[in-house]
Amino acid sequence: MSTTMKTSLGLSGVMFLIAVAAWIYQLKEGLILTNMQNSYSWGLYISGLAFFVGNAAGGLVLTSSIYLFGVKKLKPLAKIGALTAFANVTAAMLIVLPDIGRPLRLYNLLLHPNFMSPLVWDVIVLNLYAVASAVYLYILMLPELTGRLDWLAIKVDDPRAFSDRWARRIAPVALLFAIGIHVVTAWIFSTQGARDWWFSPVMAPDFVAVAIAVGTTVVLVAAALAYGTGEAYQEAYRTLGLIIFIATGIHLFLMANDLAIHAWYGNAETQRILAIAWGRYGLAHAFEVAAPLFGAWLLMRPQVLGSLPRLLLSAGLLVAGVFVHRFLIMPAAYTNIPMTLTPLGLPDSHWSLPIASGRLLPGMSTFIDQYAYFPSLVEMVILLGIMAYMVLVVLLAVIKLPILHKERI
Amino acid sequence: MKMGMVIDLEKCIGCRSCMVACKQHNSQPPETWWNRVFTPGSHRHLTPPAKGVEFFLPVHCQHCENAPCEKVCPVGATFKAADGAVLIDYERCIGCRYCMSACPYGVRQFNWEDPATAHLRSEYQDHYRYGYPEEHRHDGRLVYAPQRPKGIVEKCTFCAQYRDKGELPACVRACPGKARTVGDLDDPASEVSRMIVAGNAFTLLPEKGTKPTVFYLPPKAKEV
Repeated sequence: MSTTMKTSLGLSGVMFLIAVAAWIYQLKEGLILTNMQNSYSWGLYISGLAFFVGNAAGGLVLTSSIYLFGVKKLKPLAKIGALTAFANVTAAMLIVLPDIGRPLRLYNLLLHPNFMSPLVWDVIVLNLYAVASAVYLYILMLPELTGRLDWLAIKVDDPRAFSDRWARRIAPVALLFAIGIHVVTAWIFSTQGARDWWFSPVMAPDFVAVAIAVGTTVVLVAAALAYGTGEAYQEAYRTLGLIIFIATGIHLFLMANDLAIHAWYGNAETQRILAIAWGRYGLAHAFEVAAPLFGAWLLMRPQVLGSLPRLLLSAGLLVAGVFVHRFLIMPAAYTNIPMTLTPLGLPDSHWSLPIASGRLLPGMSTFIDQYAYFPSLVEMVILLGIMAYMVLVVLLAVIKLPILHKERI
Repeated sequence: MKMGMVIDLEKCIGCRSCMVACKQHNSQPPETWWNRVFTPGSHRHLTPPAKGVEFFLPVHCQHCENAPCEKVCPVGATFKAADGAVLIDYERCIGCRYCMSACPYGVRQFNWEDPATAHLRSEYQDHYRYGYPEEHRHDGRLVYAPQRPKGIVEKCTFCAQYRDKGELPACVRACPGKARTVGDLDDPASEVSRMIVAGNAFTLLPEKGTKPTVFYLPPKAKEV
């Protein structure tokens, strides 16, 4: 094992353990350790859910490319795609846990599920996708489960043919769940008529577009780290770069389309939302547009794909932009109070009814009509720890399982 | 039977007695208010936003017929009683706060920490406790507890603990101007039904399609 590998393993392991400790601390004290309050009821954790769900799309892109569109040159990357999908979809489920006030009662999801709730659909589809990714990865690895891993292998006559046949069969099912996780996660937000920022039919297709962009980037990074940027892989990388750029373009188009329509109509509610999205968070908005666009453009260039540091920097730019995009799901929905009205006799006024914060906020009134949220240290530590978990799962799998191809193609 | 409430804004003097009665009777933790009364258009209560314009707006759970909070609850902890009141089962709520996000009226409140700790933090007198002292179950489900569990969501129950004994909600009893009336919306002859028809009643945020069972009668213009 190389020193870099050892350091990465150690670092991500420690970060994950610190996050577990922070979560235990939060379990004891309550969600008072976060910076959320009643009128800002979801924050970094739920942004994290959307982020990890998007990252999990790598499996989707590769299986559909290979088995539906016949892009054979991507086949060596199929296992990495399934692995990053599994690591990210389980991270998505983990990051929800610290957001739950009473996690020990989660068994109620099994005993009393309310099938009207998009959250229940999301739990179902995330679990199905996690299982599908794991099974798919197993099927792809089967021919190489020999020697010390022999005990893991199911006994079939011709493992290679079996693997190929079943990968082909599972691919469409996995694809269905894969699209499902993005659509249903978007629906959690876009079904909320109370929040005009989210109540838009464009959210689900946009989630799919973002996911294809960032999920493919995650696969590209993992592949470049594992196989390097040699000539043998350039063709596959260029295909990935093209997918990333097209998906980023579609995402930016969908987002701009939504904003433009709202801005044009210009009612009071929308003006309030845009004052947050383009005003107070204007710089962050500029970054969420420019970083993925520039990053995706760089990832199409041969000079970038041929150099590991450049590739990592460009991919980092794109992923950072998407992360900010995920963070920005919340502010324009929560900064202002949803209950607004034009008081009788004051046709020009647009007034919010304050909400009790539910927690003592020094220097602030109990009743809040606007709140600027920034995550607390505990929230950040837990999110970083779940990112570390995701890296840890990928690294351990690469070490222990036949994920990587021994021979270069 | 469909429980409903009519609030006559002409009779509301903005005294906030209903707020205080609600807070006390339902033993709400510090910084938690199920019921709030404000002066629309003004940043300061009881201060007219413009000359000649002043009325007061009490808002609590609207006990919607098409309640988004009930639909989004993943475990069915938020449920409708037979009379249409929207209640929360304190023993089933997992604290995901999806309902708080889905409610357009912002009436739902979360227990960010143990209420006992919150009492200390807000410098309440030691061992000072207020409110209806016993737990209350409706259809076997815990819908009120004087000591709230940490990490669950709560809100107005139309005072389930009193209504189940045939008594009126605390806010109705506390209003010195008798601005609040409760009754059966299904019965066209009931007082609330007649007030709704005769008084040009309106609901809050009708465009959200939530169909509240709390109605308001518009105030007349105030004398300058």
